[in-house]
This record gives sequence, C-alpha cells and structure tokens, in this order.
Amino acid sequence: MRFLRGVLFWKTPHQVSICQVAGWLACGWLLVGCWAQAASSDDIDFQRDIRPLLSDACFQCHGPDEGKRQADLRLDISEGAYADLDGRRVLVPGDPKASHLFLRVTHDDPDQRMPPADSVRQLTEAEIQLLRKWIEAGAEWNEVWSFVSPQRPALPKVEDYQWVKNPLDNFVQSRLDQAGIQPMVEASRETLIRRATLDLTGLPPSLDEIDAFLNDSSPASFQRIIDRLLASPRYGERMTVQWLNAARYSDTSGYQMDGPRQMWRWRDWVIESFNSGMPFDQFTIEQCAGDLLPNPSLSQLIATGFHRNHRGNAEGGIISEEYRVEYVVDRVETTSTVWLGLTMGCARCHDHKYDPISQREFYQFFAFFNNVPERGKARKWGNSIPYIKAPTTEESAALVQLDNQIEQVEQRIVDMQSDTNQAQLAWVKSLLDGPQVNPASDVDDPLVKPLVHVPFSETKQSGTADGGTVDERWEGEPKLVAGRIDEAGEFDGTRFVELGNLADFTYTDRFSIGAWIQPHGEEGGAIVSKMKTDSENRTGYSFELVNGHLHINLVVRWLDDCLRVRSVDRLNPDRWYHVLMTYDGSRLFKGVQLFVDGTSCPLEIIVDDLQQPFKVPDPLRVGARGKHFRFHGLIDEVRVFDRQLSSEEARVLATPETIYEIVSLPDVERTENQRLKLRRSFVNFFGPEAIRRVHQELADLRSHRRLLYEKVSTVMVMQEMEQPRDTYVLKRGRYDDPAAQVSSDVPACLPPLSEGAARNRLGMAQWLVDPENPLTSRVAVNRMWQLLFGQGLVRSAEDFGSQGDKPSHPLLLDWLATEFVNSGWSLKKLQRMVLSSATYRQSSRTMADLQEMDPDNRLLSRGSRFRMSAEMIRDHALTVSGLLVERLGGPSVKPYQPPGLWVELTLEESRYVQDTGEDLYRRSLYTYWKRTVAPPGMMILDAPQRETCSVRNSRTNTPLQALTLMNDVTYVEAARALAQRVLNLVEANDSERLSHAFRLVTSRHPSSEEIAVLKSSLEFHRRRFESQNDEARKLTSFGDSVVESAVTTTELAAHTAVMNVLMNLDEAITRE
Amino acid sequence: MNPFYFHHRDVMNRRSFVLGASAGIGAAALHTLFAKDVGAAPLLDDENHKTGDSHFTPRAKRVIYLFQSGAPSQPDLFDYKPKLAGLHGTDLPESVRQGQRLTTMTSSQASFPIAPSIFRFAQYGKSGQWVSELMPRTAEVVDQLCFIRSMHTEAINHDPAITFFQTGSELAGRPSMGSWVTYGLGSDTENLPAFVVLISQGSGATGQPLYDRLWGSGFLPSKYQGVKFRSLGDPVLYLSNPPGIDGVARRRILDDLSQLNHIKLTEQGDPEIMTRIAQYELAFRMQSSVPDLTDVSDEPDHTFDLYGPHSRKPGTFAANCLLARRLAERGVRFVQLYHRGWDQHAELPERISKQCDDTDQASAALIRDLAQRGLLEDTLVVWGGEFGRTVYSQGRLTHDDYGRDHHPRCFTIWLAGGGIRAGVSYGETDDFSYNIVDRPCHVHDLQATILHCLGVDHKRLTYKYQGRRHRLTDVSGNVVKEILA
Repeated sequence: MRFLRGVLFWKTPHQVSICQVAGWLACGWLLVGCWAQAASSDDIDFQRDIRPLLSDACFQCHGPDEGKRQADLRLDISEGAYADLDGRRVLVPGDPKASHLFLRVTHDDPDQRMPPADSVRQLTEAEIQLLRKWIEAGAEWNEVWSFVSPQRPALPKVEDYQWVKNPLDNFVQSRLDQAGIQPMVEASRETLIRRATLDLTGLPPSLDEIDAFLNDSSPASFQRIIDRLLASPRYGERMTVQWLNAARYSDTSGYQMDGPRQMWRWRDWVIESFNSGMPFDQFTIEQCAGDLLPNPSLSQLIATGFHRNHRGNAEGGIISEEYRVEYVVDRVETTSTVWLGLTMGCARCHDHKYDPISQREFYQFFAFFNNVPERGKARKWGNSIPYIKAPTTEESAALVQLDNQIEQVEQRIVDMQSDTNQAQLAWVKSLLDGPQVNPASDVDDPLVKPLVHVPFSETKQSGTADGGTVDERWEGEPKLVAGRIDEAGEFDGTRFVELGNLADFTYTDRFSIGAWIQPHGEEGGAIVSKMKTDSENRTGYSFELVNGHLHINLVVRWLDDCLRVRSVDRLNPDRWYHVLMTYDGSRLFKGVQLFVDGTSCPLEIIVDDLQQPFKVPDPLRVGARGKHFRFHGLIDEVRVFDRQLSSEEARVLATPETIYEIVSLPDVERTENQRLKLRRSFVNFFGPEAIRRVHQELADLRSHRRLLYEKVSTVMVMQEMEQPRDTYVLKRGRYDDPAAQVSSDVPACLPPLSEGAARNRLGMAQWLVDPENPLTSRVAVNRMWQLLFGQGLVRSAEDFGSQGDKPSHPLLLDWLATEFVNSGWSLKKLQRMVLSSATYRQSSRTMADLQEMDPDNRLLSRGSRFRMSAEMIRDHALTVSGLLVERLGGPSVKPYQPPGLWVELTLEESRYVQDTGEDLYRRSLYTYWKRTVAPPGMMILDAPQRETCSVRNSRTNTPLQALTLMNDVTYVEAARALAQRVLNLVEANDSERLSHAFRLVTSRHPSSEEIAVLKSSLEFHRRRFESQNDEARKLTSFGDSVVESAVTTTELAAHTAVMNVLMNLDEAITRE
Repeated sequence: MNPFYFHHRDVMNRRSFVLGASAGIGAAALHTLFAKDVGAAPLLDDENHKTGDSHFTPRAKRVIYLFQSGAPSQPDLFDYKPKLAGLHGTDLPESVRQGQRLTTMTSSQASFPIAPSIFRFAQYGKSGQWVSELMPRTAEVVDQLCFIRSMHTEAINHDPAITFFQTGSELAGRPSMGSWVTYGLGSDTENLPAFVVLISQGSGATGQPLYDRLWGSGFLPSKYQGVKFRSLGDPVLYLSNPPGIDGVARRRILDDLSQLNHIKLTEQGDPEIMTRIAQYELAFRMQSSVPDLTDVSDEPDHTFDLYGPHSRKPGTFAANCLLARRLAERGVRFVQLYHRGWDQHAELPERISKQCDDTDQASAALIRDLAQRGLLEDTLVVWGGEFGRTVYSQGRLTHDDYGRDHHPRCFTIWLAGGGIRAGVSYGETDDFSYNIVDRPCHVHDLQATILHCLGVDHKRLTYKYQGRRHRLTDVSGNVVKEILA
C-alpha cells in the first residue's frame, strides 16, 4: 500500500476511490509513454505504436527515399506494406508467421535479421511482440495522423462533471479517468493570478492587482483578470518573444563579421499584431506574402520581414549564389517548421527518410521563395537588398506634414509665377542696361556651391566652400592653357595636382565630382581621385576616363569589395565635355549617377559589392589615380561637392555661359539649360526678397524632409522578381549542381493548392491557412499550449511528422485546432478559453506517487510548473524591483553586459557600447541581439541563439545560471532597488518589510517559518555591514541607478543581501 | 498535518530521483555537465539507445584542441615543396589548378604567380620530419607528433569552414565537437565544466571573428555547451560575488536560500527544486575551484620558462596552453583553444612570423609538459586551422613578400598523444602543395579519428533531433587507422 499513500492522503473535493486506483493498477498503465510494455492487442494503435516503430527502425532503407530504398520494399505506405514481393507477402493480416516483415525481424540468421546488425536502431523484444500482436489483430493501417485534417471530435464523457469548466476539461478528465487519476485541486488565488499574469504578459502581477483579485470572490473574477491581461499592451510583448525565436529575429546578420542590421520595425509590427488581435491566418499571409496583396500597405510590406530574418553572409570572397541558395533553404525550413511542423529541410539532399516528401517536392516548395531580388553576398554593415524605408507612425505623420508644407510652398511659387516672370524680365533688362556683372564666373547659382573648387585659372585660386584656400601642389611643371572657362590645366600623362587631405568621403556619404574635360587621344586617365594605390587593394575613390568610357570607382578592395561602374557610351577625344558623377551614400549601383553635359548617362556594372568604408589619408588628386594612371588632356573647373547634386544642378553646372552671356542672347536663342540657370540664379540670388524667401523656404523644407527621411529606419522585406528565377532540383543540395527544372508547388501528401490559386508565395500562404490544411492549425495551437503549459500536447513542437512525438491528447488537439479555425483564427479567444478551463487552474503541487504515475505531467494530472524563460526572469527582476522602464517598441537597446565579450570574439569595429539610463531597464525583448555573441545572461538561461528557427527552448538547470542570478549586476542592482522599495515603507517594521518584499517576488504571503529565516538573515547581514561599512557602500553602489539615501548604507546593504536571497528563490524564477 | 507534506528525504529515496544519496553533487548529475556522472556508464548513443559502455577501449580520456583560426599557411610551415624554388613568379599551371573554384577575392586576379615559401625547411628528430624555420620549438618535438599533410575540407570561407570543422556542418545549429564528446562521455570532474573554451588573439593580424556557435551545443541540451574561460574580468561569467559580498556573506545567503527552497520543496514536491539547490552549491564550489585553476602563481618558474615569456601574460596563447594543461590535470574532458590571426592574405612573411612567435614554443611546451606528467598518454592534442592557403600569391609578389588566399584542397595539421602514432606523417600533396596525391584525410575522417581515440564509434554517437539521428560526422567519415598507435 506504500504506493497508494500519497493518493489517499489527498484531501481534494474529488476523492479518488480505492476502486479506481485498483482499476488503474490492474490496467497496468504504469508509465505513460511506455506503450510497448502495456499494450494488449486491443490497445494497439497503429499511429501511436506501430508507425513510429517502423519509421524509426525501417524507413531509413524502406521508406520514402527512393534513392536509398532497399529490396524494393517500402513500409511507409500501405501499398508497400501489403505488397506481395515475388510471392513473399510483407504483411499477412492475422498471421505473423506468414508475414515476411515479422519473419525478418525475428530471423535467427544475423545476416537475414532486420534491422541489419550494423544499424544503430535495433528492435527490443517488447517491440517485436508489439509487432506480432498488431499483425495478429489484423495489421490495420491508416495514414499519418497529422496529415489527416482534424475533424471536430465529440466531447468525451467523464465520470464526474463537477470539475469540468469548459469542453477542454472533458478531454483532459476523460484521459485522467482512464488512468484512474483525479485532477488536482485548483491552485491558490495568488498562484492563479501570478500564473495567468506571467503567462499572458510575461510579467508578475502587482500587489494591488493581487489584492483586488483576493477581495473579489465573484465567479467571474478570474475571467475579468484574463480579459484585462489579454487587453494589456504587455500581452503583445510577451507573445512576440516566442515569435522572434521562431523567426530567428536578430539585430545582426550572423556569419563571420556579424554586422548590424535593422529589423526592429518588423519586430514592432509583430507586437502590434498580437496586441490588436490580428487573426492568425492574416498574420500568416501578411508575413509570408504581404507584398503580393493588392495595394499592400506599408504595414503589410513590413510584415514580410519575417522571411528576411535569416542570416546573411558578408564574408569577403564568398560565392554569392551559394549563400543565396542557403537563404531560400532557410525560408523553406523555417516555414515548414513554424507553420507545418515538418522537417522539410531533410529533403534538401535526398528524399525525406521518414515523411512522404520527395527531394523534388522540396525544390517545388523552394521555388515559392526563390524569386526575391536579393544577393547571396549580404551587406557587411546594414540591411541587404531588398529593403524599404519603414517610418514609424510619428515619423510618417511628420513626413506627411512636411509634404503638405512643401506642396503649399510649391503652390505659392506656381501662384507667383507671372509676377516672377515679370520681375525676372525687369532684372534681365537691368542687367543688359547696367554694368556687366561677374564677367569671369561660369556659374552664378549660389546653390551650386562646391566643397572644393579648382578653377585652373591665372586669376582665381583653388578654394573651399567656407572661403578657405587650397594648397595646390603640382607634380611636374604646372601648365595652364586656354580652357573651357578662361584657362585649363594641361595634363600630358606626367603631371598631376595634389590638393591635400580634402573631400575625405566614405561609403555612406553623399558626394559629387564634376569637371570640364577635353581628352587628348585615346589614353584617358584619372580625372579626380582620392585613393591609396601603393597596395593591390586601391582603397578610395576615383573618377576616370578609360578607353573613352567614364569610370566611377568606390573601392575598398579593387577585385571584390567595391562599387565600380562605367558609362555605356564613349566620349570622343579632343572636344570639351562637362562630366559629373553623383553618389547617394547607399552603397548600391543605383546610387551612382553620371551626367555628361548635364544629361544623365547609362552606366554598367563592373563590380557592385561595396561592403566597407573606404577612407584613406591620401590627398585628393586631379589628373591621376594615386600617382598612377595620369590623365592625357585638359581639365578645367573641378568641383567636389559633399552632397548629391540633382539633375537640375547637373544642367546648371554644365552651362558654362555666365548669366551676363545668357541674358545677352535673344530669348529664343537661349538653350533650356541656359534658361534654367538664369531662372535659378534669379529666384535664388538676384530676385526680390519675397521671391528669394519663398524659394529658400522650399529649399529648407526639402532639406528638412530629406534629413528626416534619412533618419527613418529601413527594414528588409520580401519582393518578387518580375521574371521568376528558374528553380532546379539541386543534387545533394549543392547550389552548383542543378538537375531537373521544377515549378512551385506544395507537397503531394498535403491537400493541393486550391484551384485558381496563384502559384506564388501568396497562394502558398493562403494554402497554409486553408482550413483543409491538416497541420497549420494543430501546429499553432500546440505552440500556444506549449507556451501555457511548458510543453506541447505534441512534445516535438517542431516535428509533426512520423518521427515526431505523438500527441498526449489527440482529440483535444483536434478540438482546439478546429475551435481555433472556427473562432476566426483568434489566438486571444483560444487563450481565454484555455485559461478559463479547470485544467489550467489546477495546482501544480505534486508528490512522489503522482510523480511516478505521471512523471512528466503528460496526462495533465496537475498544473504545470517550470522555470521561466530567460527574458521573463530578467523582466521579473526589473518589475519587482521597480526598475522596469516600459516603452513599447523602438530600436533595440544594450543593457549591462560584461565588458570585452564582443571584442574578444570579433573585430575592433564591433565593440559593445552599453546604453545608459532608461535603456538599461527595458523589457528583455528589446535587448540588442548579436547572433554570434548573443547576450550572455539570456544564453545562460537557455534562450535560443537565433541563428536558425527555434520553436522549442531547452530548459536546463545549471550552476552558471546560479552564478548569473546571484552576481550579475542586473540582478544585484534589482535586489538593491527592491531593498530601497521596501525601506521606503517608513512605518513598517522588519517583518512587514520582508513580508512585503517576499510578496513582491512570489506574489504570496510568506509563512512564519519563511519570515523567520529572512529575519535571521537580515540580522546577520546587518551585523556584518555595521562592522564593514566599506563593504556596504560597495554593494549599494553596484549598478548605474542612483542610490536614494533615505536610510543608512548599512540598512540598504543588509536588505540588498536579503533581497538577493529572495530573487534567487526557486519560486522567484518559476511559473507554477 | 499538511496533506501534501512529505519530507524531502522521501523524495530522495524514490527511484525516479536517482543519485540522490547525498544531496548535492549526485542529484545534480542528471542535470548538469559539471557533476561527475557517479556510477553512471557513459552515455554513448541517444537517450533511447544506450549502449552502456565505450565502443572501444579508449586510448585518450580527453582532448586539447589547439585551433589555429584563420588558416595557417601549410607551404610556409609544414608542407615542404623544394621544387617550387625555381618557379618564383611563374603562373600556376592550369594542369595544377584544374579550374577549381577560388574565392572571389582572387578569382578575378589576372594571374596566379607562384610564391615559394621564403622560409627554410629542415628535417628534425629521429623521424626526420620536415618543419620550417618558423617553428623551431615544434621541430624539437616532432618525434611526438603525427602530421596529417593531406587534410582537405569543403568550405572556402572562414565562417562555414570553421563551423564545419567544429560541428561537422557548414551551417549553424549543430553541436560542436566538445559538446558531442561531453554528451557521449560525460564529465570527469566534479567542480569544473567538462568542456572549456579558451581564446587568444594573435599578434600577426586582426583575427577572424569567432562565434559562440563553435562551442555551442546546437540541438543537444544546452548543458553540453562549452564554457568560455576569459582572461578579462571573471574567468567564468558572473563567477565573482558582487562588490560588498564576500565568501562568508555568500555562504550565508546560500544557506538561507537553501533553507527557503527546502521549505518550498516540502510544500511543492517538485524535484526540480532539489536540483536547483544542488546547482547553487555547485556554483559556490566553482567560485573557488575556478580561481584555483586560473591562478597560476603556484607554478614554478621553470614552467613559465618552458612555455615561454608570453605564458606569464593572461589571455595569450601560451598562457592558455598552460591553463589547458591545468584543466587536463583536473579532468576536464574537452579543452578547446582558439588562436586568431592566421588569415594572411597580404604581408604573409611578416605576419606569420609573429603568429609563430605566439604559438610555437607554447604548443611544443604543452606536449613536453603533458609528457613529463604522464598525461600525454591519455590526452589527445590537435593543432591546426580550418583550411590551407594557396601556393600562388594573392596580390603583389616580390622577392620577400606575398599573400596567400584560402585553399581548402590541402593543408597540414598535427596530432599528438593518446592513441596516436608518434613521429609519423600521413598523406602527401603534389609539388605545388595544391592537390592531394596520397591518402587524403577529410574533416569528417579527422573527427571520426578523434572520437575513435576517445573510445567512441562516430557512427554510433547519435542524437535524435527533428526525427533524424544526427552525428558529428553526418553520413561520412572514416577512422584513419594508419595513424593510430
């Protein structure tokens, strides 16, 4: 009777009768999950007992993989299992001795016996007996449970309806009835509110919330708590963490350098979606294919960031296509894990060994994700294409406001047009009538003001924008000859000009370089450069003429890390051209423009892979690249700008005539460029103040808008190429070994795409959430269950295939799945229902006997109890200490981290610069995530690394965790803040303060025994710190937050030490 | 009486809470790699398929892996190619290159001029193995070493290549070699982690980055991940008590914590609480065992003389080699060193000299030191990088300067100690150190061989994840029997 003691002591409203227990014993279901020992032939379930066994032991060679199949025997489908192979029948229902499958697994000859002797997987005697019984009972075969669409099951009957609160409980209790176990009593009210608050918001309840709940005994009070929690913005933050792990979200790109990227706008989209209760089908479609929806909103485009969260390799020397293929594979693997619970990735190199997914089908699914206009070589620093600007609501509003203002001013300018025309006519007349102005100036538009100007003139000096002079140093004899504008420099392949370390641009700077050139002969040469040419890399920038083509080079390494382009068309020798290059700092081909004589010219790519900054200390030079590739011809009026000139400005620059010369021409003879130059000069410089002011206003507004827009964060998104890429089966999964071409489709073991569905990501996304899809709803509700109960009904949340775990409550899973779909895919409704159940509300207390009967709580015989996740533990500490700073969304923050962690693993460029002030105390989901060196406190507490998709965390219990929680400044500072918090209760005595702190940490009142321990602890630390005041000061000044000095340092330190005890309690870091 | 009441001793007596005979270390064993698996057989296959014993008689109990991150140049260190002498600056014949893929750093180079090593080679020891003048101390211990001159790999860039070496897959998410070994063989120490990582920065160049994943546990439970010991700050993260809390105060805090947790255990019955209590005790022991390990002040001067002057400076490769020996003495199963800075695309002669100055004496000293202490017999030492370097020059070639690009097709590593034949070379490359002409050794072969030395069949050390039994060597790998002692 030793066995029964715990149960009999169990004074619950639902007494277990001796009979029930005896029945349970007789039934012999001692251990859940040990079916093989338990099953009589009636109990054998093909799906639960036989298929996993065959899958595990036989499918490797006799499964779906055609390439590896032995002896033409296929055991994963009924056709194969009932086959007659040359007179030998694999399975003969009712007759094991005639069934060759059975004969081979029991064969005496080791060479004949299956599985082969060298196989890792061997059958146990119990398993062989199970096979025998199954065959004897008729060898009934049915499909993989998870590939059959869930049917809404009838509610099971239970022995006693008193406990049942909603339909969910029927399933749980009927299972418990079978096992002869009574459900557990309801948890205490403190536990209940703490559990629900942690589960739905990731934070503990406040004492006020607890007290209100304790004082509200109405039956609906818990329901109200649930509703309040579901409506809290914290809810979205809590749900988002799991999704970030699944989506492998990170603030860096992963691989080698692991440089930063910006995806937080997508992260905030997820928070907002959970908070607004976006239905899961919409949530799915927008993330998979928001860009393909009709007239997608900004929000729908941001949503597609999901499929760009994969890592990106920016390592020098990689072969781009190799990694582009990896990204597509990652999307397939992530999609199949997150929505389908399938391990499709296994079919990348060969047919799946266990599930009916062929290699061909893998690449058909791959084809959905293969049409993104992306590159395998990712950006080393920053987002990789394609990406979009993703203004926040506030930023959008500010931009709209500026746009309105700009529009108004533009309208005013239009309204003023006839006045302006008249004023301009009068001005032109006055010029013609009056004395000549600016006779030597070629450009009179003050807006076109260069950073550096080299006029090559007898009379004018080289200068800078701020009026400074430039020290011109000629290599070789200076030579000025008649030029485009007064004189020009003559370059004969020997001389060049050095101008000092000016125009020190890098790859994120906007800049422009313009000049008049007259090439002599075909030899060309560099026009302007700032480049280090004594190494092979040729780091820097240059603007050159090569074989008549204009080249623009932005270079870190000449062969691979650079943006090098050239004009499609050639210049002719021995005539003047105005040439202008502009660059927008985007590091992209499309960010470079070339203008010849004011007209934009087409460019072609030589190399388009600029990855790193290219600043060099070498001087700016005219007429040479470094000291090499010296120019042949004339160069005049070199201008370097620290901004990207507009096409209008390019036209003005290419207009050499002075204003005086232009006005001297009859109106009809003026060119368009001359008119433009005249107009711009007038409205910006020479016109009446009213006109100048409004144009200045417009310029200021545009500049303001540009600056604001530049600050707007970008986010990587999905796009579809107009011409989809061809997709091939890749032999052994290798990017450079294509076989048959395939087109996009879904695996044949699942329902087909609906008729007329687009065969693109949108069609695929709609297929995922088609109610006929047997997997998506089950996989989603299972993950929800895992979140609330610590483990899924299917424990292998990532694998619903034939090698995955079977559901503990298959009918419940199907009921929840259908309920989820019927409710309009509402996660909140589902969670409300689950939290309202008696199952959820059970106490998590356990005892030895119950542990033995249901060791892992697979039967849900009690409430679940598990250590909180990494981010919950930190957020809990920040909350109870009062340090938490709640602010929804925004760029990620860098809280405390031991110094040197990044640098010791990476390069100097990536140094962790810890934030200060409020950013130290934000919720953990906002902590900056560097994949290759993830936040240590999070990693020690089992957070996934986020290099790949993760839908199930491990939950370990290690001494490193103890060290972290005892010693990390995060937790010690929180202990001190908590100490301050209770010391602020001026009227209270020690016991009351300790009790208050205990409640803050655990949500419950301490027992007298517990208070006694804490009081004694406080006494000890008081005594110690009284004698060691320095120590007290050290402890209380650990952490950035300011010490409030209402109490003595000794008191604060002593309390801090005790709070350190409290915050390390098992109960403090456990959700129970 | 509280109906839920039962004393925690009752819990401990239950079979399901095995190993609880003495509260503390034993109970922890199920849950941590730190605890010695008292009385438990090594776990060699996944949880469903324990074999209960080593697969073979192990020759090594532990591994010290001296990983040279960035890829040391085999033609300048160990792969002697005298016939290149007359070919300086000539283009690498197409018959050698055979159109094999190159990194995009040099694939568009106009020519591939041969750069013979400027360093002199000589034969050393009774075994007469060729070593370059860059490695004089290593040359002195060649009779203890086994060179594999025919290593080859698949990846051509650092991140995938080093990930492949350390986890058996180019992609992230797989357990590292150290995790596999500790998962398979458990721990031999009660107060230290079973798998320790030490990192040093070379003086040759800014090193290639490293990544937590290289010692991560992948899909294995995270308790098998390597614990990085640091030279800056706490040797183990968060090891030290916060300022103002000394050992006495910490002990008191732990006692109070334990008392409160026991009250909770009694009330609650969750055996996980018992484990938690034990882990806190283990953490407390680590607070003294780790500093005891890293405090080398008890080492005599002649030890430092042996390892060289760098060994007195924490965080250097030499200091880490000394720590590796101390870890081996204390029963740590897998000690993984990483030394960065071998990625010499340019200015190779100057930079590689500095790298060798960092590593040569200390690597040799570790071999001598282990041998003197009788530890070399059952400690396997491995030295090498993630791939090799090209015989042709990357960038400008002068009479005394050149660079070398990545070269996965051949490179040299060495092994020594437990289970390995001493004083031999295995495999051979062509006259250009470009292709392998004799007995190639793939990364998976090396991994299989390392596991073999530890008494583990690489095909049977598996873990089921996503429905499949994974292993370190994926679906290939052959033990290199010729190099086994």
